[in-house]
Amino acid sequence: MGVLGQQLLNGLVTGSAYALIALGYTMVYGVLQLINFAHGEIYMVGAFVGLLLVTVVKLPFLAALPLAMLAAALVGVTVEFVAYRPLRRSSRLAVLISAIGMSIFLQNVALWIFGPATRSFPPPFQVSVLQIGPLRTNTLALLTLGVALVMMVGLHYLVRHTKTGKAMRAVAQDRDTAALMGINVNRTIALTFLIGSSLAAAAGVMVGMLFNAVVPTMGVMPGLKGFVAAVLGGIGNIPGAMLGGIVLGLAETMGVALLSSQWRDAIAFAILILVLLYKPSGLLGARVEEKV
Amino acid sequence: MSKVVVRSLRARVGLVAALAALLVLTAGAGVFAQQTVVIGTLGPLTGDYASYGVSVANGVELAVNEANASGQYNYVFRVQKEDTRGDSVQAVNAINKLIELDRVTAIVGAVLSGETMTAGPIAQDEGVPFITPSATAPAVSEIGDYEFRNVITDDKQSAQMIDYVVNTLGLQRIAVLYTNNDYGVALRQGVEAGVRAAGAQLVAVESFLDGDSDFTAQLTNIAAANPEALYIAGYYTEAAQIARQAQRIGLNVRIMGADGFDSPLLVELGGDAVEGALFTSGFDSETDDPAARAFIEAYEAAYGVKPDMFAANAYDSARIIIQAINQVGPNRAAVRDAIAATTDFPGVTGPTTFLENGDADKPLLIFEVQNGRFVRVR
Amino acid sequence: MPVLDLVNEALREWINPYYYGIFLVMGINMILAMSLNLVTGFTGQLHLGHAGFMAIGAYTAGILATKGGAAFLPAVLAGGVAAAFFGFVVGLPTLRLRGDYLAIATLGFGEIVRIAILNLDITGGAFGLRGIPRLTNLPIVIIAVLLTYVILHSLIRSRVGRAFIAIREDEVAASAMGIETTRMKVTAFVLAAFFAGVAGGLYAFWFRFISPGSFGFLLSIEILSMVVLGGLGNLLGSVLGAGFITYLPELLRTSVPAVAQHRMVFYGALLVLAMIVRPNGLLGTSSEQGWLEMWLARRKAKHAARGPARLEAAAPGQDGADGRSGE
Repeated sequence: MGVLGQQLLNGLVTGSAYALIALGYTMVYGVLQLINFAHGEIYMVGAFVGLLLVTVVKLPFLAALPLAMLAAALVGVTVEFVAYRPLRRSSRLAVLISAIGMSIFLQNVALWIFGPATRSFPPPFQVSVLQIGPLRTNTLALLTLGVALVMMVGLHYLVRHTKTGKAMRAVAQDRDTAALMGINVNRTIALTFLIGSSLAAAAGVMVGMLFNAVVPTMGVMPGLKGFVAAVLGGIGNIPGAMLGGIVLGLAETMGVALLSSQWRDAIAFAILILVLLYKPSGLLGARVEEKV
Repeated sequence: MSKVVVRSLRARVGLVAALAALLVLTAGAGVFAQQTVVIGTLGPLTGDYASYGVSVANGVELAVNEANASGQYNYVFRVQKEDTRGDSVQAVNAINKLIELDRVTAIVGAVLSGETMTAGPIAQDEGVPFITPSATAPAVSEIGDYEFRNVITDDKQSAQMIDYVVNTLGLQRIAVLYTNNDYGVALRQGVEAGVRAAGAQLVAVESFLDGDSDFTAQLTNIAAANPEALYIAGYYTEAAQIARQAQRIGLNVRIMGADGFDSPLLVELGGDAVEGALFTSGFDSETDDPAARAFIEAYEAAYGVKPDMFAANAYDSARIIIQAINQVGPNRAAVRDAIAATTDFPGVTGPTTFLENGDADKPLLIFEVQNGRFVRVR
Repeated sequence: MPVLDLVNEALREWINPYYYGIFLVMGINMILAMSLNLVTGFTGQLHLGHAGFMAIGAYTAGILATKGGAAFLPAVLAGGVAAAFFGFVVGLPTLRLRGDYLAIATLGFGEIVRIAILNLDITGGAFGLRGIPRLTNLPIVIIAVLLTYVILHSLIRSRVGRAFIAIREDEVAASAMGIETTRMKVTAFVLAAFFAGVAGGLYAFWFRFISPGSFGFLLSIEILSMVVLGGLGNLLGSVLGAGFITYLPELLRTSVPAVAQHRMVFYGALLVLAMIVRPNGLLGTSSEQGWLEMWLARRKAKHAARGPARLEAAAPGQDGADGRSGE
């Protein structure tokens, strides 16, 4: 069963890349219930800034990463201010369309500035192949998994055990009541975007390195998969987003391993739909009581 | 919609053109010789396939600029570039605009097979000759007599590569990893036929989708089948990523592919993982031919990057059109006939002749990546 | 029909083919947008896989025409029926899901359809399906748009339509009043799928070639943006929204070169701007929540007290679409 074990490990690595994206996604998604189609573009901006800082400015990787996160956070907060805040009181589908507009805008501005060619993102260290029994992996893949885990724990701590997190949860639950309780709703939402966007940038840099490709359209599919993973895990649930990403990665990889690579995405989505039919509020989502 | 242009305007334009032609005839060539002729090009300038579409547009633009600067032609040429986003509907809008609003004489494009299949028939119906520099799907040549294709078809490419790998290098166990689109499937079918013909063994067939960046699951399956060579039916971006990921999972076999590999980015993205990779192409970027060298240098000077196969094919296609227009004047039907009569055109992608079905007949070369350079091995 | 052919000849004579083509695609998009509005705008169910139904209709019609020699009208209607059938099969289990859970289930359905088309033999796979005769023309599309509008409009005014709106406003209350919510939701879904399938059939007979890449997730999103931009729960709005979203890229294409060269940048920005200026859509009924009013309210609130004054925020876990207007 060496191949199957190897495929499980592959799925875990693919899944941790999705989880990285889903974690940033679920921040904004959990607080605002906004399907943020521009999240993938923030991820792309982060990857480009990181790449330019490493290759053009020649900064060391550990200095480039926080700066890329900062730049993407600024873009994210600006997007919130320009495109989402004016629609705070409108239907959430209006915000969704505004997000789609932003996504198209950012992607094509990047195309304008950087051109259409795919760029290589060299990892900051020599990637070495590791052999563990019959299984084979590499240091970069393990690092991706590790970063995803650290991010998940950090986020969970932030949301569950800090005052800021409490404010976020209050805003998520009921914006008006939160305001009445003296929470600055605008600031809390801006902060949510700040954190969500910087996490997107971290994901962009990590995944850009893992797959060695940075290109203006790189955010489209990950943005979609991040959304799927976040919903699958249970809306607004941080460990759920991580789990959703891993399950999605495993479903895709197992589709290739056991059935056929031609049908991979169809198999993955069929599994998703079946999971949802069985657990209609996601893997770790709380059962929502129906209001009467 | 105030911009609806009625047919009467068309008639008026036609009248003006006819008058102009009459004047040229009566006054003799040379006096009114600097008439502007529009050459259109369409392809994905935005979206997932933008890098291919932009290369094509650049190649056409360079050819036109050079023609205008040379002062050797009877006409001034203008390029009109339209974006399709790689989408069939947008391609129809784009080609309609080129034909009806810009009144182009001939077109280079479209870039992808799908968009060529919806836009091409419109040019055919309207009698506008077009040369696609990159659409390789077999059905493209059935569009009609105004369709030309200046790229070597997939079946030919994969068959020659398999022949080389099996009969010259002596590798027997072949695996295929293909993009599940028209380009990848056509190459895969060619490989399957080639393997059968050469009496070799096809040990694994796996696929991926456009836009994928994670190929480890497929590569793990392929590695388990223990191949000696891996045919990647896709473009350089994916090929480079696949080569790197294959290296990381310990699959160190000979990698090969078609003209989709032929871009400096293959080496830039793939690094040492693509060292030794083989591919077929009509365009030799290391050539000694002075015309081709001049093209490579001019392209790099203008766009800051080295040309890929798309740019080279588009450059040749535009030059074939320019030459045809110069010979017979900006009459679409006459230009079509002149393009069809093209024989041994000295292109940067080799001497080019169009066959009866509109496909270009030109030599196919095999290259190997050696120290990051594309060295011709056959 | 000879009358239609005559009308078509006249239109072809008068309209430049470039604009003729744009009008035709506009019409097809209007049918798609109106049908999606039935599910998302009127019944309040977020559906992100509408392109899948269109694809089923397009391929059914295309296969019948090329391999079965079917005539235009039967082939297009069969496309609609096939899409409706899939709407039923998919809708029955998934419409139990709420909000964004339904959204990703429908998104998944759309992707499954695309991949199935890509991998089957009868559809022509990755090479696409070619050789479909060009039988769609502008008069036919205009008639189809009018028929769709009339049928959906009278449906919405009927008992069934009121049930749809009741579900959107409050599913639990609707159920308590004796509305069979699942049955109604499936009905809306099946009807929407039928019209999307018809639109797909018209599409196939216009473009003559169809390929799986034409029916991806981004098309579903584009149709949704037509519905929202036009106004949720407003059929005329969908017509307007489809016209706007279809024409905008072409308007930018034919504008000054500096804009045309980067038209997608402007397209994205204009989409954002349109939503901010008309948050309830072009024909959305309630205008009290426009940005201007909000800004004024905020100013007033700042003067009066700290914190915003009048609020009606969306509660978490709320259903996908909370469009506010009805016909």
